[in-house]
Amino acid sequence: MSVRRSGLQKEVLSLYRRALRIPRTKPPHTRAKWDLMLRYKFHKQAATATAREVNIIEFLLRTGRREVSTYEDKSVTDCWVSEDMRAWGEQRTKTN
Amino acid sequence: MSLLPRLPCFARQFSSSAARFLATPVDKKPVLNKEFKIYRWNPDEPAKKPTLQSYTIDLNQTGPMILDALIKIKNEVDPTLTFRRSCREGICGSCAMNIDGQNTLACLCRIDRKEGKDTKIYPLPHMYVVKDLVPDLTLFYKQYKSIKPYLQNPEPPADGKEFLQSPEDRKKLDGMYECILCACCSTSCPSYWWNQDEYLGPATLMQAYRWIADSRDSHTAERKEVLQNEMSLYRCHTIFNCSRTCPKGLNPALAIAKIKMELAAD
Repeated sequence: MSVRRSGLQKEVLSLYRRALRIPRTKPPHTRAKWDLMLRYKFHKQAATATAREVNIIEFLLRTGRREVSTYEDKSVTDCWVSEDMRAWGEQRTKTN
Repeated sequence: MSLLPRLPCFARQFSSSAARFLATPVDKKPVLNKEFKIYRWNPDEPAKKPTLQSYTIDLNQTGPMILDALIKIKNEVDPTLTFRRSCREGICGSCAMNIDGQNTLACLCRIDRKEGKDTKIYPLPHMYVVKDLVPDLTLFYKQYKSIKPYLQNPEPPADGKEFLQSPEDRKKLDGMYECILCACCSTSCPSYWWNQDEYLGPATLMQAYRWIADSRDSHTAERKEVLQNEMSLYRCHTIFNCSRTCPKGLNPALAIAKIKMELAAD
């Protein structure tokens, strides 16, 4: 049986999906960086709100959508990955 | 030496002006305190509810407009107060906000000097707030872009230099080209509040008509075609909030009525 999700959950997941589809539109050598950066940003921001704080989630969705649409722009080709992001990514691959 | 005869100097100098001869210096202006209640919301703390913060300043130490008071508050009381401003003379449209229940430009709105009465300042209603008095106008600008607000005419001008226009044709644009896109009208419109995503709103529609009415533009039919649906134009229910609130004294409702008329004639 599939999980019943609320509208807000669906919106959050669709934003995450939209973000994760960005790297494949970017030049090959930057894709790993894009992927790490987007995952990091999403998880860090998502952690700032609990599931009950609906207005915060809505706010994050709004700002997130705007951010993602900037990254989706064709003229944006590269991104920068900080030390924090690298460390977070390594931590994540270890635990998973 | 010059050939002009030497004239005795009759010009009035500061040392001979009236104020200089007063025995006592001019009295300082009395203190006239006024309370401003300003909407505050900080995106860095999204969990906190928006609040009204009150500031009291001396009106005799500040300029006559709301924007002067805001700038004084930001300079001297609370530098975290955030608002947009630029030209301070009603030509840029940056400082649009809701002052005492009316959408207007802070730089064109006089401070009510009545004693014991506070002034409430909010961001433009029904817009997402970026911070304090700064609304998110992304959608508004996107809608403006969607009506293609530029001259569309593939034919080169007859003289190869510029498109000419008769004075009568030019007159048709009066009252529309002056719009500064401050978004006061659109955000005062209940129809726009409820259908922002599809209804274009008075400011954008007036600009749409500005290009429909332009005699130099050859894409009039296409421009009308785009508006020919339930939502973009016909969500206007002639509420007239737009014309009442426009800080530049324009009449978006009239422009919308004219579009409706032209569309009905087609």
